[in-house]
Amino acid sequence: MTGELEDAVRALLAQSLEAWRVRGKINRQADATLLIVAGDKRVRIARAPAGLPFRWTVVDGERTRGATSVVGVLRHVRAALDPSHRCLRLRIAPLPPVSS
Amino acid sequence: MIPVAVLTGFLGSGKTTLLGRLLRHPDFARTAVIINEFGEVGLDHDLVAASEESFIELQTGCLCCAARGDLALTLQNLLRRRDAGAVTPFERVAIETSGLADPAPILHALMMDGGLAARLALAGVVATVDAVNGLATLARHPESVKQVAVADRLILTKTDLATAQSADLSARLAALNPSAIRLQASFGDVDPACLFDMGHPAPLCAGNAPAWPGFDAHAHAPAATHDAQISCFAILRNEPLKAVSLTLFLEALAEHCGGDLLRLKGIVNIAESPDRPAVIHGVQHVFHPPAWLDGWPSADRRSRLVFIGRQIRQPWIEALILAIEAEVAEVAALAA
Repeated sequence: MTGELEDAVRALLAQSLEAWRVRGKINRQADATLLIVAGDKRVRIARAPAGLPFRWTVVDGERTRGATSVVGVLRHVRAALDPSHRCLRLRIAPLPPVSS
Repeated sequence: MIPVAVLTGFLGSGKTTLLGRLLRHPDFARTAVIINEFGEVGLDHDLVAASEESFIELQTGCLCCAARGDLALTLQNLLRRRDAGAVTPFERVAIETSGLADPAPILHALMMDGGLAARLALAGVVATVDAVNGLATLARHPESVKQVAVADRLILTKTDLATAQSADLSARLAALNPSAIRLQASFGDVDPACLFDMGHPAPLCAGNAPAWPGFDAHAHAPAATHDAQISCFAILRNEPLKAVSLTLFLEALAEHCGGDLLRLKGIVNIAESPDRPAVIHGVQHVFHPPAWLDGWPSADRRSRLVFIGRQIRQPWIEALILAIEAEVAEVAALAA
């Protein structure tokens, strides 16, 4: 991977490992994918091939997941590296904020 | 809409005294007060003398724990009685939490009740802090730290008893919640407007919040400080944010920060709406729909986001937004 987006995704993943307290390294591979190695886990992040309804793929062992955005990538990576974390879904409150 | 203010503060920090004083003020007439006390036998409601046009409801049990569902029921019941003419047509609601309450779940409960949405608006959170014992309380009781951290306004009480204004306490409060407005009260004497006139998130000036790296060439050193458990920081952004970027950002925040996000408040320059900024406000993984202002409150058109949370890292937030923006820009370029 090269380019502004890939650099930003790599930086985000590096910060995410720290935030999740996961020890690991992120390497850019010759095939332009990103490989996260954390303990015995290896998670590969790549651009999705053309024709798929995804922008990204996240490969965790035998399992490949598609993601439509970097937010989806982050969700899949966390599920692979920090399985005890339960992702909460965004909820929109009906009550409006500040009246004034 | 009827504004609802949440008054919190640790045990003995002067909430009831403050409330009692406020309720005697003419500007505070027609106020419905919900007092929550920890324990089965309430006492505070007997200590607060309301004016004839105001009245008090009592809840026992801690609002942030088992009884928090009761809060919505109490409010619904109040509104029903108001509509039926069974109570004074109150114009505002004040909720005094118990001294041990974590205010975040209370805000969460308030925000999520659809039945209240059409009638009530969250005015904000006021926390009382004891000028004499506040520093020790903050050191010993994590609940008090949360109360300070989520407040829009901090009211330093018992200043008449403090021999000198504690610089350490001031520094501690500034560290926990640099964006909150701080006021002082002696014997509960404070302007009634402090409870309901909180307006939109306090604007941050360039000097008291860190700039967003990559967006401000004259980035200032971070002035917001951090606590071991709870951090508060602000992010400024010079360029407008696309609406879809904001949506993705909030989605990721909810998924990865969840209950650790005590509060997020901010004013955002949305690319699709340059003259009408969006005010966002969230607690944990629950967010209000953005409120669109009629115009910018000042000449400062930067987006300003204030985060209060437990172990939420500012560099992660910054990296998240940058990655989302890079992707949105790429998609837009492909579509063009």
